[in-house]
Amino acid sequence: MNCTLERSIEHYANQTPHKAAVIFGGEALSYSCLWERIRQRARQLREAGLREGQPYVFTTTQDADFIVTYCAVHLCGAVSVPLESSTTKECQQQILDGLNGQDTLTSFNRNEMVNGQWSMVNGQRSMVNISDVLFTTGTTGNAKGVMISEEAWTANAENLTDRLGFTAELLFIVCGPLNHLGSLSKIYPTLTNGATLYIMSNLKDLGAFFSVFDLPFARFATFLVPSSIRMLLQFARSELSAVARKIDFVETGAAPISQSDMEQLCQTLPYSRLFNTYASTETGIVCSYEFSRYGCVPGLVGPPMKHSTVRIAEDGRVVCSGSTIMSGYVGSPQASAQVLMEGEVYTSDFGIISPDGMLHLQGRGDDIINAGGYKVNPIEVENAASACPLIQDCICVPAPHPVLGTAPKLFYVPRQDQTVKPRLIADFLKGRLESYKIPLFYEATEAIKRTYNGKLDRKAYKD
Amino acid sequence: MNHEVEKERISAILSTALPLVDIESDFLFSELDSLGVTTILMLLSEEYGITLDAKDATPRNLRNIDAIVKMVEEKVKVKK
Repeated sequence: MNCTLERSIEHYANQTPHKAAVIFGGEALSYSCLWERIRQRARQLREAGLREGQPYVFTTTQDADFIVTYCAVHLCGAVSVPLESSTTKECQQQILDGLNGQDTLTSFNRNEMVNGQWSMVNGQRSMVNISDVLFTTGTTGNAKGVMISEEAWTANAENLTDRLGFTAELLFIVCGPLNHLGSLSKIYPTLTNGATLYIMSNLKDLGAFFSVFDLPFARFATFLVPSSIRMLLQFARSELSAVARKIDFVETGAAPISQSDMEQLCQTLPYSRLFNTYASTETGIVCSYEFSRYGCVPGLVGPPMKHSTVRIAEDGRVVCSGSTIMSGYVGSPQASAQVLMEGEVYTSDFGIISPDGMLHLQGRGDDIINAGGYKVNPIEVENAASACPLIQDCICVPAPHPVLGTAPKLFYVPRQDQTVKPRLIADFLKGRLESYKIPLFYEATEAIKRTYNGKLDRKAYKD
Repeated sequence: MNHEVEKERISAILSTALPLVDIESDFLFSELDSLGVTTILMLLSEEYGITLDAKDATPRNLRNIDAIVKMVEEKVKVKK
């Protein structure tokens, strides 16, 4: 393979021009049609002034048009910056300001990008061909732009193809947000193998999800976060069972999956290969474990894939290296230096490696809340909630959720002893945070617990 | 079952569980995401001791609060 996404689409546009590349909402785009639309969009973008190496920021739509724009930007030699559809205007502006090289992002040098080079903080390596910037939860409460090279995407695609087995006859169903690594990474192995991608907005219409299996394809596969698996097992087990023979594989990841759900999924899909994958925007796709074959062990994500290496740091953190890792954070050499050292990404996940080379995850070492695969920084939520005139003080902590596993909960002190309906706080946050970051639970309290030096006492809320 | 009483009860349950969703919306299904749909199925199954599954999670059944109440009423009737 070792070929870019766009060149692969061009290749299949010549080899299998009439084969469906992308299906969305009943419309199928053949490889030749997709390639023509990408070229046309690239022409439009060039005419609009998009230059090589220039970041192109756009809102993610959950449809074939996203693929067209995403690939067209690459075809122009520019950098795709897809944003969450619910990104607030304020946040969009911050990102745009930053990417224009102003103020805090002065280190983002467009001339370097034009030449395909990105000098790293410590000068030890240069990056070539920045392909995308994906925004992810930052540890300081501000979103961080993760730079991903074309080389990293190619390595991710090969890792997935090699471990999961993407082939040309596959129909891969994407039902998560396309600007997140979990779904975006599946476009690559699907289309570089000449297979077909089926895009769904989400999984809320389960009838629509199961109707995909009526399409005339020999093999089906999908990526589902653990909360979606929980939902299917609880509310659609018989429907899932009915299509069991059609499902080649299901990949999960982004959040811990319980042993019980793994076992139930194995029982429901006895003919399918079921994988638990370890990946992040910073590390790329690193490990995957076929639990349907080797046993359901929570936290076990298997050995590293062909382009990846994993080791455990002295403090127990998982450290990843290889060609899938990020090129750094946009305009934030300090943040990059904290995570990316000598070609290794130091994650916030704790783990051990068993004698047979398997990575076992053992929890996180930071305060980030994993809400069904979406990473939520409590500081960002607290900063937004603190601006609410109804609130005097607050803290955002993880709380158990029957579907998501954990979800953000806001403890708040109402201003001037007034009663504040949680709905009003949620409405206030709606315009300030992406929807998945808004707490699902609210509890009024008289005071927020703090440590002796005045910092929020997160540990006190853990149980 | 009294439709209005159950409507108030269901509305209160769902408003608490789904703080971002306007439960009174006439276009409720379009406001929901997969978590919202799951939450509705889960909470109403528990509250009324009925079985709700994927077949019930249709745009028609979840188009507004009245449709949800009607779906629950029919399930309760079948249960009896």
